[in-house]
Amino acid sequence: MRHGVRVIRDGDGIMRLHFGKRFLRGAVLAFGLAAPGLALAAESAAVTSPRVTATLLSSRDTVVPGERFKVALVQKLAPHWHTYWLNPGDSGEPTQIRWDLPAGATAGEIQWPAPKAIRVEPLVNFGFEGTVLLPLEITVPADAKPGENFALKAEATWLVCEKICIPEEGSFSLDLPIAAVSTVDQAAAARINAAIAALPKPAAFRGKLRDDAGKLVLDLPGLPAGVADLRFFPVSDTLIEHAADQPLTAGDKPFLTLTRSSAFKLEKPEVTGVLTFTETGSPRAVTIVADADAALMAAGGAAAPEARPAVVRIPMPAEGADLTLWAALAFAFAGGLILNLMPCVLPVLFIKALGFAQLAHRNRSEVREQGLLFLSGVLLTFMVLAGAVIALGALGSSVGWGFQLQSPPLVIGLAVVMVLIGLNLLGAFEIGTSVTGLGDGLASRGGRLGAFMTGVLAVVVATPCTAPFMGAAMGYAVTQPPVIALSVFMALALGFALPVVALSFAPGLLRLLPRTGRWMLVLKQAFAFPMFATAIWLIWVASVQSGPQGVLAALVAVLAAGFAVWLVGVTRGSFARRAFGSVLAALVVLGAGWFTVQNAIPGTATEARAGDIEAWSPERVAALQVQGKPVFVNFTAAWCITCIANERVALSRQEVKDAFARLGVVYLKADWTNRDSRIAKALAEQGRAGVPLYLFYPARKEAQAEILPQLLTVDGLIAAAERAAGRNAKTAALP
Amino acid sequence: MQSLTRQTFIAGLTLAGLAFPAAAFAQGAAKVGAPAPAFQAVDVEGKTRNLSEFAGKTVILEWTNHDCPYVRKHYNSATMQTLQKDMAKEGIVWLSVISSPQGEQGHVDAAKAKELTVQRNAAPAGILLDPNSKVARAYGAQTTPHMYIIDPKGTLAYMGAIDDKPTSSAASLEGAKSYVRQAIAELKAGKPVSEASTKAYGCVVKYAPLS
Repeated sequence: MRHGVRVIRDGDGIMRLHFGKRFLRGAVLAFGLAAPGLALAAESAAVTSPRVTATLLSSRDTVVPGERFKVALVQKLAPHWHTYWLNPGDSGEPTQIRWDLPAGATAGEIQWPAPKAIRVEPLVNFGFEGTVLLPLEITVPADAKPGENFALKAEATWLVCEKICIPEEGSFSLDLPIAAVSTVDQAAAARINAAIAALPKPAAFRGKLRDDAGKLVLDLPGLPAGVADLRFFPVSDTLIEHAADQPLTAGDKPFLTLTRSSAFKLEKPEVTGVLTFTETGSPRAVTIVADADAALMAAGGAAAPEARPAVVRIPMPAEGADLTLWAALAFAFAGGLILNLMPCVLPVLFIKALGFAQLAHRNRSEVREQGLLFLSGVLLTFMVLAGAVIALGALGSSVGWGFQLQSPPLVIGLAVVMVLIGLNLLGAFEIGTSVTGLGDGLASRGGRLGAFMTGVLAVVVATPCTAPFMGAAMGYAVTQPPVIALSVFMALALGFALPVVALSFAPGLLRLLPRTGRWMLVLKQAFAFPMFATAIWLIWVASVQSGPQGVLAALVAVLAAGFAVWLVGVTRGSFARRAFGSVLAALVVLGAGWFTVQNAIPGTATEARAGDIEAWSPERVAALQVQGKPVFVNFTAAWCITCIANERVALSRQEVKDAFARLGVVYLKADWTNRDSRIAKALAEQGRAGVPLYLFYPARKEAQAEILPQLLTVDGLIAAAERAAGRNAKTAALP
Repeated sequence: MQSLTRQTFIAGLTLAGLAFPAAAFAQGAAKVGAPAPAFQAVDVEGKTRNLSEFAGKTVILEWTNHDCPYVRKHYNSATMQTLQKDMAKEGIVWLSVISSPQGEQGHVDAAKAKELTVQRNAAPAGILLDPNSKVARAYGAQTTPHMYIIDPKGTLAYMGAIDDKPTSSAASLEGAKSYVRQAIAELKAGKPVSEASTKAYGCVVKYAPLS
């Protein structure tokens, strides 16, 4: 028996494990010495039994008032032992956590990982083996006092079984200092984020559950072709015989045949569960919602479903999940086309077009060649981006379009690119064959590399933007198998490249442009300012993500970049001078890069709270609907320019505020500036992969939301508010 | 060497799994409203008991495993014993069934089973020893406890949990709804059983491998 550990077996045969304080301190000390650099504050003392080692893990070392952060209950299980999922299967009991939190603090529900079917012939259990993290979210009250401790206390109970079962329980406590700035525990956060990334994501389709001669049939429209090893895990334990085979009938209308539970009961017309399968050999898991048909509802003894309010749809490409492939391709193409007009993209493209005009007077074939090189630059870059989105998606990460802007160092990198382009446009520096293809000056011939790189750069500067039509297409793409997702991205790329390529092929269009002259230089310089404006916006994004440190990091990066290009410029000439200049510039850039990465840490900014706008949570929406209040949800991010534009032109307008106040609309904001799996999940449920998304929930319990267009108007918003409040414009206008 | 034997073992298990699809026997023939599956088992007195001998009487089957924490919840608090005694007063035949095979948790011989009854002050009308899990297979018993009620005509009237609190915590007993009491009361009143099939909860029944 180890010193200081007591095992108490009570009347129920429940093992309770207690550790002497001295033992713990010794163990913690030994652990700390063995692994220096690991922050001990972010993990509670372990509760151990021969079967389970459990701890409470926090993603933060220190917290700030009002913030939400992730924690996880970690269970490290001995070989062959398992704990249980939400529906434990034929026997067993899920892990439960009872929280004892400071006043005002709240803990969310456990976000259940995808279960495994664990055979205990002839029965089956649904649960976890190995190491399992049960993540959830904690909210620190806004009135928490910096300087004090935020005490997280939890009592968890779990049943751990091999063949025999042992109920265990443990007390966990973590004291996190409340500070002005929260500190992310990188190691713990990485573990929790990996667990969250691996959570099953909402399927892009809804299932349908129906009766077929006594068997249950689960229709899975939209199930990707080529998947295998399907298994449906219902949340309800009275739906199916858990151990029964679930044969899949493939084809264009795939379905699973399930065996009705001997204790069959349907409580709601909506059946939820997790579907696990393998797709091209790799395991996948999605959450799925299926609508039970009326006959089944009657058999299940549930009350007849309330007439479900039909989802009101504004004829806009709102729901990615409903799109056909062709529609998605068309939307992506249109979105790409519109992307050309975005303030950060337009200057780059316009200058390229002017370059063509210049060249066209001399050499038409070269213009065509450059057009094609530009196209390949665009296609390749989109391919890389699509590959990243698909790869991260395959790893279970909930990413969407614009995900790259959830990383402060990348945001800052983009800001630096914008500043450099601006400086270049102003003529502050020239580079031989410029990376941008702009430095060549308008009069010189753009290099081949230049044309290609312009394509790359155009995509890079376009990434912060979402154009209308793009949201739906991207939402569709990320839920599809890689080949289709790539096709959608390619359609977007083709739309994006079209204007420049068309220009290079249509000499008629080029002739419309005036001849070279001073106006070109002036225009070129003028275009520097949208670039600087974009940089300002990106630095503001970094400030929202990382607080004052983020701003410092961004400005240092800009300074270093400017200094480096200047250095390279002034040290031209002899080889020695060039080498000296380059090395020094490289050192400056490396130093600034290091500084940026060190200082731009996501999630260290306190959440901005604006007046009467509340933070979003699905629970809050449900609660407000029960209270009979219409709810408006704004899914936004600081890096989403379309979102900000909508806030300016519609959401923050007095008419809208007045209408919301008059109709009792509650305005909730889901801020996706930093990664948030709950928001990603909510977006996916609406068939979206990114922001903006605007939802209006009617003031009725469980009523479905209306999806508003991606470009808001004052009138449209007020009309939607009136629909949600159950009034039409006329009655609302009456005194 | 050791790893080799383990591999062989796992391979054997896999083969066994392929040969006998789980669904084929996880789902017993037991179905509420249908005749209860017939069984034949030796009780702790060494007598062979048949379901048919109880024709005209209501029979309750209780799957049990004295080491299972869920079973212990009901015995340590004496709720199970009270239920057994109350049912006996109504003239109902209570049979406890032990289906754990030799070497598995809950397996007992006749002497140990009788000793447990005395020790726990339990009052079943009989205890069936089912070390080959034959009765368990016939009924598709999943957990301990798992309860079945057979009406005097031999029709299965109830199958499922003992109550509506699927946890091993003793505190859950207070305010728990006994599905067994509810079903018996409804049967007595000549009413249909309102909750005739519920999800059983508890430890998994340890099945003997099919030989």
